[in-house]
Amino acid sequence: MILNVNATRMELQRIRKRLKIAVRGHKLLKDKQDELMRQMLSQINEVKEKRMEIESSFQAILQSFVLSQSELGRAQVEEALSLPTKKMSVDVETKTVMSVKMPVFKMAVSGNIISYGYLNTSGEMDVSLIEFDKLIVTLFTLAEMEKRVQLLADEIDKTRRRVNALEYKLIPNLQDTIKFITMKLAEMERSNLTRLMKVKDIVREH
Amino acid sequence: MTTAKIGAIGENDVMLIFKAVGVEVFPVENKQEASQILSKLAKEGYAVIFITESVALSIDADIKKYASKMLPSVVVVPGLKKRNNYALEKLRQSIIKAVGADVMKEK
Repeated sequence: MILNVNATRMELQRIRKRLKIAVRGHKLLKDKQDELMRQMLSQINEVKEKRMEIESSFQAILQSFVLSQSELGRAQVEEALSLPTKKMSVDVETKTVMSVKMPVFKMAVSGNIISYGYLNTSGEMDVSLIEFDKLIVTLFTLAEMEKRVQLLADEIDKTRRRVNALEYKLIPNLQDTIKFITMKLAEMERSNLTRLMKVKDIVREH
Repeated sequence: MTTAKIGAIGENDVMLIFKAVGVEVFPVENKQEASQILSKLAKEGYAVIFITESVALSIDADIKKYASKMLPSVVVVPGLKKRNNYALEKLRQSIIKAVGADVMKEK
């Protein structure tokens, strides 16, 4: 498609510059896309394995916890856990990879997981809580990794759109327009020349 | 660097164990409650939000809103109900979106 421009030398020069920039941008974006893809592919399997591992161990812990809960009675467990001494918060730092901002979580933990006396609760509950306490650290790594994959996927999608827009739309359009303008200018040149020759002929006859 | 809070949304039974490790818990019973709490937590700057699988499935559209933002990070954990592989499905979707093919299929 030809852009809607006047066929002048100035316009031609401008479009040539634009084409140059577009080609360069296209190359850069393509490189970015490749690198993002590489990053993403290297993480997929890792995330998947981690997710499966965590899911199975979490489910086992949860089951034993709920079992102990039914053994002791709901009210008892709720009472035991009504005032947890453990406090947890997370420090968020950002890391930039290929212009994608990613969170890095650092846990800040204080207190003890067992916040109750051992008298009224069962051993299974203690065990499942302690196990969960260990697991929660890996849950944060998982949170970080999954977010990273999501953000990368998003960025790849965006970059791909840009690359395609440049490759299949803007660059061909600019090339067509350049061709159009050069042709038009050459045509004008020729018509000018013939007109001059014609005028000269007429002048000579008189 | 900022310090942020951690929250968990889900069925009451599962929430107890999160409470024990010092995560702020928000037991929910229905879809409306869950989506309200999720948007509230996101607004208040919670960095990590745990959601049980069955709840996550019901508020899928709300979770999607936060997928492309840096924070919060929504982590789906299995609950006591039937498994539905929500998280792996999400992972697969984002891969298909990025790569254009399902690279996870082979395993």
